[in-house]
Amino acid sequence: MTNPVIESIRKSLGCTAQTPLSPSTLLRTSPRPAIHAPRQPESTGSETEVFLNEIKKLSGVGQKLSYTEIDASMKALVEEQNVRKATAWETPYLRQLGITEILNSLGVELVSPNANKHEMALCDLGITEADYLLPETGTIVLGSSAEKPRGVSLLPRIHLAIVRPEMLRADMHQVFAEAKDRHYLVFISGASRTADIELTLTLGVHGPKNLYVWMIDE
Amino acid sequence: MTETPAYIGFEEYSEHVPASIPAAVQQATDRFVRGRAARVVELPQWEELRQIGSDIRQHTIENMDVYLTRLEEKVRVAGGHVHWAETAEDANRIVLQIAKEHNVRMAVKSKSMATEEIGLNHALEAAGIQAIETDLGEYIIQLAGTGPSHIIVPAVHLKKEEIAALFREKLGIQAPSDPIELARIAREVLREKFLKAEMGISGGNFLIAETGTLVMVTNEGNGRMCTTMPDLHVAVVGIDKVIPDWESLTVFLKLLARSATGQKLSTYTQFITGPRREEGEFGPKEFHLVLLDNGRSKILKDPIGREVFKCIRCGACANVCPVYKNVGGFAYGWFISGPIGAILSPQMLGTQTARELPYASTLCGACAEVCPVKIPIPTILRHLRRRVAQGDEFAEETLPPPLRLTAGLTSFALAQSWLYRLGTRMLPVFMSIFKRGNWIPSAPYPLSRWTKARPLPPFTAHFRKWWKARSSKKKDSS
Repeated sequence: MTNPVIESIRKSLGCTAQTPLSPSTLLRTSPRPAIHAPRQPESTGSETEVFLNEIKKLSGVGQKLSYTEIDASMKALVEEQNVRKATAWETPYLRQLGITEILNSLGVELVSPNANKHEMALCDLGITEADYLLPETGTIVLGSSAEKPRGVSLLPRIHLAIVRPEMLRADMHQVFAEAKDRHYLVFISGASRTADIELTLTLGVHGPKNLYVWMIDE
Repeated sequence: MTETPAYIGFEEYSEHVPASIPAAVQQATDRFVRGRAARVVELPQWEELRQIGSDIRQHTIENMDVYLTRLEEKVRVAGGHVHWAETAEDANRIVLQIAKEHNVRMAVKSKSMATEEIGLNHALEAAGIQAIETDLGEYIIQLAGTGPSHIIVPAVHLKKEEIAALFREKLGIQAPSDPIELARIAREVLREKFLKAEMGISGGNFLIAETGTLVMVTNEGNGRMCTTMPDLHVAVVGIDKVIPDWESLTVFLKLLARSATGQKLSTYTQFITGPRREEGEFGPKEFHLVLLDNGRSKILKDPIGREVFKCIRCGACANVCPVYKNVGGFAYGWFISGPIGAILSPQMLGTQTARELPYASTLCGACAEVCPVKIPIPTILRHLRRRVAQGDEFAEETLPPPLRLTAGLTSFALAQSWLYRLGTRMLPVFMSIFKRGNWIPSAPYPLSRWTKARPLPPFTAHFRKWWKARSSKKKDSS
């Protein structure tokens, strides 16, 4: 079947469907121009520092925590933000940390991460991990699956990502090389923001108002 | 909200700009210019990145049919549907058809220039489907029933008091004149719509041919809402948005947010390849990609003009443009404004309809200096001016015969040095008729269009004499 748009492009470019492509590149011209070499990462310690510092610049809260501090930090977060309802990814790591048990013990009502959108929208807090972290831009990269539903990082008014240093990658090049075959990815760099009314910075216009990132150092 | 215009009267509009518009627009542009400058100095390889970005776009333009064919195949493999729209009407018909098949009554939209270009909202409303803009600025101007005044902050021309009044009138809600409160109200109102709408409509920043991936960049999170909450996602994207692969994307993502808002990356960047795979993950059950031509494929024939398709829609050219800063976005008469609008609209609408736009520039070149993909905007403006005046294989000539004769004689005279010299001798004589003291307060038409605004200083220096004197002085001193 001929496609009129493609036909019209070919006509403008002065070629036809029969014009042979270069056998080595499968393109009409030489290969696409070369791109910069990826960034070289520093030590894990300094990469973590850069990452957490960028989160702070983006109005997020980035903290380094040890295993033993999770309980107390969660208690502080629940009290400070008045969290009554929460939802969390059910990944092996978050289960291992006992996140749902901690929330239960704090009297927070738990909603299944696969609950329908109306129920999830009522949550104050959504807890996720991350698949990758980008230090230079303070970015957390999230995939999507039944175990890692997209709504958890989007609908609740607070998003908490519990991450580990091994998720750090040097830059986008590396993340893309590893993850380009995934059917969904989202880069999150800071809290939802707008400056649409008189250029006044406002956080949490549609997505979460508060972003917390806890880097668990073992 | 914009419909395809029958004629763009830039000059007439710019003579009657309300003073509030340039004031607000300049506040926004100054902030973005400062933000961009701060990010650019952080990146030592900035200039190199711009060149690579420009080269990748050029390469993509020259291979567009190959990459689009690859893209289509990959989207299908990922379980998405691909539709080709030759015209705006085709695109609207396709979206309406999809909506009807799914009994859609309400659609939520994230900011998209492609849907503005085709006037999709009107088509949906006419079919009884409510289309709600969800970007805060777009939502406000949709309530107000006006167009955008700036590409990034479309409602920047409205004061918080005006927005509060608008919310009270249209939503029947008590709204204080406080930006943060107003944003909170919009969040609540729109949250309901996100949860209720049966269809999400978006544009797209890039399409990756390698894997059939739609890339969307937003700050508010409304883009994520539109593509995550409803069971149906339709993306309308111009064919010029295709890029070869993910490696290319790294270059454009590094350039885009820095040039647009002075961020390193926008808050949310989504990479969507087909619909959801599993029941519980959220995301649409069905994904449709409408690839919009609407005249783009024909523009590819013009090797100078087609560089406009390198554009990544950052708005940096508008932020530094002295003309844009004084008239705002409305004057450009269509979905895209600023210098990039001045070179895109005439090519898409024809040099008759948008014949004034190539002249909406001082050719100062600031736009080309900041363009992250090095589009030679002044060169294209001059090229389009010639097309407007003389016509060529793409356009009819529009210059009236007397002006064409004048232009022809001028170009002849300037090419003969004796005629040129004679002219410069005659000029002071001619000027003395109109000189009053040290100024020329009013000159005959067409020069009167200048003197109407300010007096003209008479020419006093004589370049050839000065040059001769200078070179003989140099000889003496050496």
